[in-house]
Parts: sequence; structure tokens; C-alpha cells
Amino acid sequence: MATANAFSRRAFLGGALAAAGTVALAGCATSPIGAGLVGSPLNPDQLIFWNLFGGGDGSRMQTMEAGYEKQHGGSGALQATVFAWGNPYYSKLTLATVGNKPPDVAVAHLTRAKPLWDGGILDPITEADLASVGLSSTDFNQASWDAQKTDGKNIAIPLDTHPLVMFFNSDVVGKAGLLDSDGKLKDLTGLDAFESALAAIAKVTGGTAITVGNVNENATPWRVFTTLYHQINGVSPFLSDNGAKISVDEDAFVKVLTKIQEWVKKGWLNKGLDYAGAQTQMFTGKAGFYLEGEWEITTAQSIKGLKFGMVPIPNLFDKPAAQADSHTFVLPRKDRTPEQRKQAMTFIKSMLDQSQTWAMGGHVPAYLPTLDSSAYKALEPQADYASAAGYAIYDDPAWYGGSGSTFENTVGAQLGLVQQLAVSPQGALSAIKGQLKVYTNTPSPL
Amino acid sequence: MTAAPALTRRSQAAAPKARRSIGSALARGEGRGAWLFLAPFGLFYIAFLLGPAVWMLISSFFNTSTVRTGLGSFAGFSNYAEMLTRADFWSAMWHTLQFTLYTVPPLVIIAFVFAILTNRVRRGQWFFRLAFFLPYILPSATISLIWLFIFTPGSGLWATAQGWVGITAGSGVLADPKTAMIGIAIATVWWTLGFNFVLYLAGLQEIPRELYEAAAVDGASNWEQIRYITLPLLNRTTTLVILLQIIASLKIFDQVYLMTSGGPGISTQVALGLVTNTGFTDNRLGAASAASVLLLIVIVAIAVIRQLIERAAERKAA
Amino acid sequence: MAITDAPRRPKSPISGAAPAPRPTGARVGTSGKTFGIVSAIVLTVFAIIWLIPSLFALKTSLSDNGVAALGAPEILKNWNPTLHSYASLFQAGDIWNWYLASGITSVITAALTVLFASMAAFALSRLKFRGSNLALLAILFGIMIPTQVLIIPIFQELGAVNLLNTYWSVIFPQVPAAIAVFIFKQFFDGIPRELEEAARIDGAGLWKVYWSVIMPLSRPVVAAVVILTFVGVWNNLLLPLFVLSNPNLMTIPVGLATVQGSFGQRYADIQAGALLAALPLIILYLAFQRQIVEGVTGSGLKG
Repeated sequence: MATANAFSRRAFLGGALAAAGTVALAGCATSPIGAGLVGSPLNPDQLIFWNLFGGGDGSRMQTMEAGYEKQHGGSGALQATVFAWGNPYYSKLTLATVGNKPPDVAVAHLTRAKPLWDGGILDPITEADLASVGLSSTDFNQASWDAQKTDGKNIAIPLDTHPLVMFFNSDVVGKAGLLDSDGKLKDLTGLDAFESALAAIAKVTGGTAITVGNVNENATPWRVFTTLYHQINGVSPFLSDNGAKISVDEDAFVKVLTKIQEWVKKGWLNKGLDYAGAQTQMFTGKAGFYLEGEWEITTAQSIKGLKFGMVPIPNLFDKPAAQADSHTFVLPRKDRTPEQRKQAMTFIKSMLDQSQTWAMGGHVPAYLPTLDSSAYKALEPQADYASAAGYAIYDDPAWYGGSGSTFENTVGAQLGLVQQLAVSPQGALSAIKGQLKVYTNTPSPL
Repeated sequence: MTAAPALTRRSQAAAPKARRSIGSALARGEGRGAWLFLAPFGLFYIAFLLGPAVWMLISSFFNTSTVRTGLGSFAGFSNYAEMLTRADFWSAMWHTLQFTLYTVPPLVIIAFVFAILTNRVRRGQWFFRLAFFLPYILPSATISLIWLFIFTPGSGLWATAQGWVGITAGSGVLADPKTAMIGIAIATVWWTLGFNFVLYLAGLQEIPRELYEAAAVDGASNWEQIRYITLPLLNRTTTLVILLQIIASLKIFDQVYLMTSGGPGISTQVALGLVTNTGFTDNRLGAASAASVLLLIVIVAIAVIRQLIERAAERKAA
Repeated sequence: MAITDAPRRPKSPISGAAPAPRPTGARVGTSGKTFGIVSAIVLTVFAIIWLIPSLFALKTSLSDNGVAALGAPEILKNWNPTLHSYASLFQAGDIWNWYLASGITSVITAALTVLFASMAAFALSRLKFRGSNLALLAILFGIMIPTQVLIIPIFQELGAVNLLNTYWSVIFPQVPAAIAVFIFKQFFDGIPRELEEAARIDGAGLWKVYWSVIMPLSRPVVAAVVILTFVGVWNNLLLPLFVLSNPNLMTIPVGLATVQGSFGQRYADIQAGALLAALPLIILYLAFQRQIVEGVTGSGLKG
């Protein structure tokens, strides 16, 4: 019995090894075995591109990738990989670069590109790089181009700007008498005009007038707060010294949040809704306004029978402002031959050329040839809020900051509680200071 | 089997006698030979176990960065001070304990009951072994994806089953901070029960059949046999199972990372999740090392306690 | 099986000669029979419950993505099985690279672990040398330290020697499994010395004794360690998750866990991927059921 067992075992293991070997040999031409065992570069002709787009953005990005492949070497010319959004993505990008196997091109939020740059994860993009594919700095929306410049270098090529905007349910606001004859939302500049609009909508819906997701959702409360905060003249940045100091203007902080609590108490603003709930409320006519990034256009368009519009957040205080970020292309740090550099830039140019496709998803193109085109200007409701990109407010640079970061999660959670009336503005401020202490007190690891 | 370590020790004691009988001529040069035999493993042991442990201790006193080479600036005890005063560190420790509390009792009790019953069944043991044990050898990624889908809010299998028995499904087991850890615990019990199950089954098969036969002759009922023979004789296995389970729970990472990423909020964040977040998201390897050292201290302490308990049990047995 | 039945051999769970499972109480009287039947019924119910998640995953993976998106009731109702998800996963290609990475790392780690751990165990079990107590202590210490907790320094080390994003970054840290040394040592301690004494009197060197006398007698324990290491490396998530960040080089659990783009909301594909990740292990389990169960029991009892 022992011999029989041993024999079959040996035969099995031998067979398994042989099978593995066959697969290995068969796959050698295109397989990553060389890279895995001796660290040789992966298929050098193939452009490797990483991004974090799911949903509608994801499928539009796939269309654009197919567009690139069609023009530049067919399928196989590009390997695109999508990772989970937010911190996991940036963590992966960082570790891959530290571990010498970064992608050739990656997408990064502009506010996350800065910490990546500080950490030495990115290669700068020179004027020569831009020129090599017929681009120049004047081809881009000034606000986002200036925002990406760091230490005098270009660190990222913006694809878009995605500001916080105001969605409205046309039926509801129409009944509230807020639409002009073209079906456009009337001008609601100024706190008085806006609040009387809220009151009028509340009468129509018999309850909520405006929704902001604030349960299990941290980013939206932050976006709304920052937008209103920066509408006040002369406010200081929330963070300074790359995150070492909380420099928020406390009076303005309290002023904005007191206003938000006031709206909740009046029943105009929802007290507690999660991300999807806030949307549904407006889509189903239980609210007139809904504040979120313009990317939710895809969801809104998929709702049968919903008539809606989108406008920049009205200026309630002193000057217009809209919290925003940009999706950008970055070149992770790696040794590149001039050809590989050119290849990467060619890919980026191809993506920019397809900005119109991207704009369908709501994002405001950063590439001026598209932004200024008549095709984009004809795009409704995109063209109605595109101006918000001109006064975009990016999150303050901080090593733990940016879209989907620890900073947004920490501060946003407290702001969500303020809206739930669970904590006072003052209480939220001291909680934020307490929780960020770990980060403000620690030297940046970058 | 439960007595195996004791037997081992006996055979160790017997070894020198055997060696002496070989004669001194053969023993010559054994020292160098022995170290040569130990060298390959020893090299890996030093390079990937001992070395990293020491390096982790050193690094925990520095502001080491993920994206910079070298240790970084000296931090003294500040990484430890930070961890010990961070609310989310204690919350992660608590969630780790919470997970332990949720999983250990069912894993021990259910496995015990299943093993007792299986041991009594004459035919089809292979089927029960397959059903209960197979999940244990599946990758954590597989079980997490399976359960993530089962827990889909509204239309998942779990919500559907709740509907059948008349419970209104809420926002989803994993989406609610109050129940997310329970969801992870359910998936874990399903996944790892087989391990304890086979341990108990092995323990049961060590118990001589004659004991039961004698008891039956004395008129003991099945329940009495379990109560007075099986339970006491499985005491040691149970102690072992509980300790193994506690140590395994302290190392929990996979299911949480895959099913909730520590969320909603940080309501399911566990110790190793905090360590990897600090190291690979905040890029602070120094602080992450300090958190790891603290976790390691807890784990080693429990392992030492385990050794002490085992020694005590052996002494009692002897 | 003469060896394993030898009188001096301690009873080890990885004996290869463990008694076949026997129903201890089943033959005791009629009440025992009733009890056995009740047990069988209760167990069968639970066993079915235990199989449901896997079967549901299988059912989902055989559904159309469109059906799977509608939720559990539709999946259960639908009786148009399709292999579409499996076909599209194999076509997409990523999964081949992931299988490759999992297979290569698991096989190499298992081979190195068995060789190095058995050599170390041979020294500890058979040879007299100064420092043997220290070495044994180091092994016991190694069993106590969970490698998961060392992920941070191991990452640093692999980065420093430029091994990140190679298969070696997954293989090397998993080779020093102290528990394997312990399992081997226990087994070797039970092998009678007469055979090797004969060989040594004939002038065989240490290597010859180890390789030609001890190892051939240790096939059951070698099989157990190979299988356990293979399964452990195949299933590992934490280490490869952080040391392999390139999708071409990822092992299958890491690929499934991180690469979203290949799936999106295609639930049938996700479940098919989850099952494909497990498939080699399921086959392994069916082929080596006893060795695996005994190996797990043995390492559990000692680890």
C-alpha cells in the first residue's frame, strides 16, 4: 500500500510539474515569466495604462482606449487595468513605482498627483514632451493647468475639471416658478434669492427642497462645505504648509455650517440621506435641488421620464466658487527610452483628442480645442455648468489630502454629522482638529 | 494524537542513547555537517523572519517612509505614543477583539457538535467531511467574493432568504456599521469551521472505543457517554482549538479587506488593516512598524500563554 | 507500511497510516442506532446548508450576467446554464497570467520548503552539535511569529534588494516555515535508527543518510508538507497583495481582489473567477483528501 501510494503521489506531482512546465513554455512568448523570475521588463512594446474609472466613466474610457488602439497598432498595443477607486488605487500606484513595475501612463486626480510628486513617484513632463505630440501649455484650461504646476514643473496633464454642481428637477422647480421661458433655471445669486427659492420648492414638495448625501458619505459634505466656504471673500486655506497646519478661517467655517444647520432645521435640507438616497429624493421629485459632482449626469440620464438640468452652484456670498478636482494623466517614475516617452505622450494626446466622448459623462474638458468647439457648446446640459471650471477650488495640498483621501474622509465625516444636527459647528471643528492631530503633528513621509 | 507531543519528548530523551551506540568515530565532524544542513533554512529564517522582526523593531523608532530609501529621521517613542493615543488604533484593536468574540464560540461549539455527530454516523462520513471541510481550503478571495455576493443589499441570497422567513431586509448586512462585522463573522465561521471540525474528529478517534462500550454495558445513555467520556477527554483539544482560534482571529485581514475594506467608516477596521493602511496608504512605514510591534507583542503573549497552559496540562496528565 | 508501524514511532497525525475513521459509538446497542440515524439527519441538513454558498456561486457563475444582475430570486429561477462567463474569463487572458503566478510561486515555495525544512529537521533530529538547543528554540520561536505581522519590514527588505514585483517576493518570505521543520523533526524522531546506523557503518556520509535513508522513508510527511505549503501559498493574500502590484504578475487571489476593470458589475463573471481561483485546490482536495485533512490536523495540533 505504501509503495502504491508513493508511486501515485510521485506520478501526480511529476505530472503536475510537467503540466506547469508545458503551460510555462507555451506561454513564454507573451507571458510574464521572465519578469516574474528574473525581473526583465514586461512586453516592452505594449503601453500599460492604469486608471480608476468604473461605471459610466469606465465604459467611456474603454471606448477611448479602443480609439487609441485603432489608430496606434491595434489591440495588443495597450493594456489597460482598472483598480478600485480611491486610496487602494493610489496605494497600488505608489507600491508599483517603488517596486519598479509602474504603468507607462496612469490617471491621477490632480489633488493626488501632488502627494505622488512629493513622494518622487512621478516623472515631470517637459515642454519638449508636450511639443513632441503637438501640445502646448496654452491648449489647456488655465485654472487646471496652473493647479497642476508644482515646484515649477508640469507634473500632470489635465483631462477634465469636475466641479460640484447643482442638479435640479425641472418639474419641481418649474412648479415653484423658478424656470424661465427657455426652461432654464433663473439666476439665484445671493443668499436671499437662493433661500426664497428653497422656500418655494419646499412648498411644492411639501418637505425637502435640496439634498446632499451625508450618511456613510464623507466626500459630498466636504465638497459642499468647501464650495460655500470659498464663496466668502478673503478666507484662508483649510490646510497650509503641506498639511502641517490647520489654518481654516474659523468664523467662516462656523458661518457656513450654521447656515447649513439652519436649512436643515427649516426642513429645506435633508438631515440624513446616503449617497444614493440623496439622488433618488431629487429624481423622484421629493426635492428640487441636489448637490453632487457633475458625473452623476449618467445616472440622471438613465432615469426614465426624469427632466433635469444642471447649473453651477449659485454664488451665495461674495464670489463664485466650486469645489473641484481634475482627472489627469501622469507619468510614473521609470526609465524610459525616448521612444517610450513619445509613445506615452501619443497615448495621452489621443485621449485628449477624444475629450468630447469623455465630456458626455459630465466632466468639463480641460483641453481647449474640445472645450471651445461648437460640438461641446451644443452639449446640454454640460455647457450650462462648464463655466464652473473657471473658478474651480482644488483641495489644499497636503500629504494626506486630495480626493478620496484620509483628509476628506475625516473632515467630511464631521461635516456630515453637522448636517445631521448631531454635532455643533464648533464641536465639529474641535473634533476635526483632534482627529487630524496625528497627521498635522507628523512630518510628511513624502 | 492529542498525546503526540508528550510521546515526542519521550523519543527525544531516547535519542542520545541511540547516538552513543553509533560510536565516536561517526560523531566526528557532525557539528559542521549539522550546521551545513541547517544553513539553507537558517539563511531564509534569518533573512525573512528574524531579520525583518528586528528591522521592524528598529524602524518603529524612526519616521521611515514608503517612498524614500533608508530609515528616515529618528522618532524616539513618538510612533508608539501616537499609536497608543490614536482613537482608530484602539478601535481597530477592539474590532479585532470583537471579531474574536463573534467567531470563536460558534467555531468551537458548532465544530464540536458536528464532529460528535459525524463520529456517530456509520456511513457517508466522507460527505460530511467534504461539506464542512472543503470551504477551509478555498482562498480567502474566493470565499469573500462568494459572501459579498450573497450579502448584496436587497436582491442578494441573504436578503432573499430573509424575505422567505418574513424579515424585512435592511440596507444590507455589510452596509450597516452595526451588522458589518457580523456578516464578516458569518462568512468566517462558514469558511474555517472545517479546521476545528477535523481537529475534533481526530481527537474523537483517539478515544478508545472500549470506554464507550464499557459505559454502554453499565447502562449509560448516549448523552451520558458524551457528557462523561467525550467532553472531559476532549478538554485538551478544546483548549487548543480556542487558543488557535484566538491567534488566528488576531491576524484577521483578508476577509475584512475584501468584503468591507474596514468600512462602513472604520466600523470593521482591524489591527492588520490599520497596519497596512498606515504603511501603504499613508506611506508611513515607521508608524506602521510600531503598530505591528504592538500587535506582535499581543500575539506572542497569547502564544506563550498557550505554551504555559499546555505544559500545565501535560504535567497534570503525567 | 512497516516503518510507520514501528514500535518507537510516535503516533503522528501525518503518519499515512492513521486508522481509518471509524464510528466509535455506532455499534453500541439499539439506542446507539437511533442516535446514529438522528445524527445523520441533523448532519445532512447542516451539510446541505454548508454547501449552499458554494452551489449558489456555481449557479450564479453558470448564469448570464444579465440574469445575475437581477439578484438571487432570478438566479435561482433561471435554468439556462451557460459557460459564457468562464469562456470570457479565459479569453480575457489575465486569468492565465494569474494562474501562472500562483502555480509557479506555489510549486517553487513548496519545493524549497520541503527541501530546506527537512534538511534542518534532519540536523535537529539526528545530529549532535553545539547550539542545537538554540536552533530548536529558534524554530519554536519561529512558529510563534505570524509572518503576516512582518509584512511591513518584509516589504522594505524586498524593495531594498529589488525583488518587488517578481515571483521571488512571494516565494522567499514563505520558505522559512518553522512549523514544517517541526513536523519533519517529529516524523524523523520516530524513524528507527538501525537503518541509518547500518548505512553509516558502511561509510555513508550525512547527505547520503539524509537523502537515501531518511527521505525515502518520509514520503507521507513530505506529501503533507508539500500539499499544505502549496495550498497556503496559493491562498495567501496579504503578502502578494502588497509585493505584487503589476496585474501581469499577480497571483490569482490578488488579481481577483484588485483588478476591478475585468469585471465591473458582471456578477456571473465574478463568481466564475472566484471558483476558478479555487478550482485547482478543489481538485487537489479530491485527490489527496486524507493527506490534506491529516496534514491540517497535524500542523494545527502542533502550530
